Amino acid sequence: MLQDIIGSKRELFADGVQTVLRGQENRTRRVVILKGNLVQNMRSEVKGINARVNKNGTYGFASIAEYSPEAAEKVIKAATENAVFLARHSGRNILLPASTGTGTLPLNADIVDTEQKEIIELCQTIDKHIEEKYPDLTSRTVVYYEDSQDRIVYSSDAFSGHLVTPRCYIYIMMSSESKDGVPVEMFKAFGGFGSLKDNFSKPEDMYEDIDKLYKRLMDKREGVYAEAGYKTVVLGGLMGGMLAHEAVGHTVEADLVRGGSVAGPSLNKQVASGLVNMVDFAHTFDGKPCPLPVFLDDEGTKAEDAWLIKDGILTGYMNDRETAEEFGMKAAGNARGWSFSDEPIIRMRNTCILPGKNSVEEMIASVDDGYYLIDSGNGQADLTGEFMFGVTCGYEIKNGKLGRALLDTTVSGVAFEMLKTVDMISDKVEWSSSGFCGKKQPMAVGMGGPNMRCKIMIGGR
Amino acid sequence: MSELNKKADLFDGILKSKGIEKYTYSIRTSEKQELNLENGEFKLMRTVFNNTCTLSVWLGEKMGTVNGNDITDEALAALVDSGIAAAQSSPDDPAHDIAPDQGKDLFRQGVYEVDLDRFIDRIKEAFETIKTDYPKVQVMTAIGSFDRTNGIKRNSNGTEFVTEGGVYSMVLEFSAKDGDKTTGMDYAFVLTKSLDKPLIELGDFRFRLENIAKALEAKPVEGKFEGTVVLTPSMTGEFLSIIVQNYASDMVVVDGTSLWLDKAGEKVASDKLTVAFKPYDDRIVLGERYTGDDFRSEDFTLIDKGVLTNHKLSLYGSKKTGRPCIKNTGFDLVVEPGDAAFEDMIKGIDKGLLLGGFSGGQPGTNGEFSGVAKNSFMIENGKITGAVTETMVNGNLGEIIKNIKCISKELICDGTTVLPYVAVDGIVVSGK
Repeated sequence: MLQDIIGSKRELFADGVQTVLRGQENRTRRVVILKGNLVQNMRSEVKGINARVNKNGTYGFASIAEYSPEAAEKVIKAATENAVFLARHSGRNILLPASTGTGTLPLNADIVDTEQKEIIELCQTIDKHIEEKYPDLTSRTVVYYEDSQDRIVYSSDAFSGHLVTPRCYIYIMMSSESKDGVPVEMFKAFGGFGSLKDNFSKPEDMYEDIDKLYKRLMDKREGVYAEAGYKTVVLGGLMGGMLAHEAVGHTVEADLVRGGSVAGPSLNKQVASGLVNMVDFAHTFDGKPCPLPVFLDDEGTKAEDAWLIKDGILTGYMNDRETAEEFGMKAAGNARGWSFSDEPIIRMRNTCILPGKNSVEEMIASVDDGYYLIDSGNGQADLTGEFMFGVTCGYEIKNGKLGRALLDTTVSGVAFEMLKTVDMISDKVEWSSSGFCGKKQPMAVGMGGPNMRCKIMIGGR
Repeated sequence: MSELNKKADLFDGILKSKGIEKYTYSIRTSEKQELNLENGEFKLMRTVFNNTCTLSVWLGEKMGTVNGNDITDEALAALVDSGIAAAQSSPDDPAHDIAPDQGKDLFRQGVYEVDLDRFIDRIKEAFETIKTDYPKVQVMTAIGSFDRTNGIKRNSNGTEFVTEGGVYSMVLEFSAKDGDKTTGMDYAFVLTKSLDKPLIELGDFRFRLENIAKALEAKPVEGKFEGTVVLTPSMTGEFLSIIVQNYASDMVVVDGTSLWLDKAGEKVASDKLTVAFKPYDDRIVLGERYTGDDFRSEDFTLIDKGVLTNHKLSLYGSKKTGRPCIKNTGFDLVVEPGDAAFEDMIKGIDKGLLLGGFSGGQPGTNGEFSGVAKNSFMIENGKITGAVTETMVNGNLGEIIKNIKCISKELICDGTTVLPYVAVDGIVVSGK
């Protein structure tokens, strides 16, 4: 854990500008076992200090790969000089945003450093279980990935604090072949916030889900291509979370709104069925911690929930301090940087479509001819809200019952059109947090969604 | 003696004092000067001073890798201890290895001193040109960056490579707007060692800016058809990178799932296609000089006139499978040009699609792909007609490279790749 050796340097913050000083360490652990072979065995520690100075809307940022009081002095000076230099070339002259409060937040958690030996042994145990139980697989991969952010933030006119975000995951990939000899694959991520001990103290707790993964792979071996076209589907919770993040979330990031996203002219308008509500949660959902809780952002804003869609109406954006002022909204703690060398930019935290009242069973039973789409490999969207998700696990629905498995396919649509077709929402949310969001820098984010019945374009063959 | 050499001598001493007989490491220092523009205005100037030290340690046949950015003497000593602990945790595996002694060399590439004022002028000039030539295009963000890196690589077999290099880059994110009509986003990127030419004239900036402006009138494709699809150079690069990963890389050859497992020396693509990785090509700005397993990099032709020469295996993949090791990591992608002018390629197509971007599920080892066509245009009766939206494309990567109709004479060089337009059959295009 970082020791606070930078707090005394607040005295160097200049008058008439807004300054944030941040010390940060990111740790990464990665072990990859491919078909029994340890192909990667890696540990990494990256730390340093940065400062950002806002001079009337022109920003200077500087960072050094050194965690010391002297480095803090250097970055404050260099960031100030950068702001002054750039102001000569920039036409920006914006009033500094008003303070939304000051104070100091307490440390939220601890980072436990697990020995590499323990990580490797855990992966070997799981790999051996899979090898012995499912000898017919053509390949298997077990990956352990852990990263943690440890940040100390001091701001000139906002909150300060020492916050940590440890997370770790085990990814399991299984490969088999269809009857025609074509490779088919299935993948699942386990884990979340916390250390190895928090998430994987009993590997056998994962075995039931590994069984399900294997069964789905066997179903997929006999799978069929989805029939291309505009179909009624039940979108699983993981897919709902992907939709919340990719197709809606990015368009309501205020910097992208400023860049011309579809959310600009859609504010206070109906963008979804009245059943749809969506929130970017800061740290708590339904009385429990979110997958990746955020208490303080890297501008010193104390994190709060950001409501985005209420009863189908777009009600707000995710902001940093500058865009909140511009759009007349409240900054809720979305300005985040990934590494010590990254400036804060507007990022999601735990973006979620809220649950409804239906059960998944009744939703499936209500579909005569459609698909149940359970999991996605990846997703992308653009400023118009046109999105695409790869579907790696899904089934036909025929006369209200699940049918054959699907081979990999893709769904696509335009978010604010597709969300208007949502007519049933399940009563439970599924969360995922194992990946990275990419937007200049990577960022760890949580995504949550319920099952939703809707109409969507599905690719076929 | 440079500071990095002194650090390396110190590091060698620490490793030897701890009884480590086999190791490899690199130490790098880097500096970034980055200018960020938002909606045409300079908004942020970012300076980053960073270091990286990556160390792999062997204890017998056990290997561990550690990485850090603190290169103080104390931190380097701690890194060695961490590397030893990682290696002790590992099972024996003789396949993890490094190249024999490759000698000593100094590699200098690119530009060493930044001319920040001139760089700012070139960026301003690019924005003026966009405003004049593409009035409907709005550049949401632009990032101009100068990056300089100095590094030293040494290993216990005696290899020592010193690298010095600097490069300018510019990336633009843009869309088009006309009244209430807006397009999706497109991106363009270039890496260059010289500011002699206007930045806007490099890479495919103009092609993409022109196309995004035309995309304001995009419509979904009606129905479904299988026609000729022309891959833009960036799409050619994107699809070929996935093909290399899914058919010819370590992972799929070691685990035996590659569909090209027994195809070395055999035809896997049209004889029009030659795909190589050429770190010494003049058009590549910062080519690879040594591989991840410490070989001096060599040019490598993966597919020669349609024939798979070899899989692209590292030393690890080679030792695991008994197949040849390739002294090239697989950056610096160069595809040989064909004999068709781009204009003539289009003229020869009755119904098809110019595919400028693909937003789709990550294809698996079977090569199946399915996704949305982005920044793409219908081709009808030999002409590029309207832009398309909500249009899906799907096919199989291994199959489409067998069905190449022609490859363009024109090549796009963005400093990292050299790529042509490629016309292929076998992609299904479907609308709403």
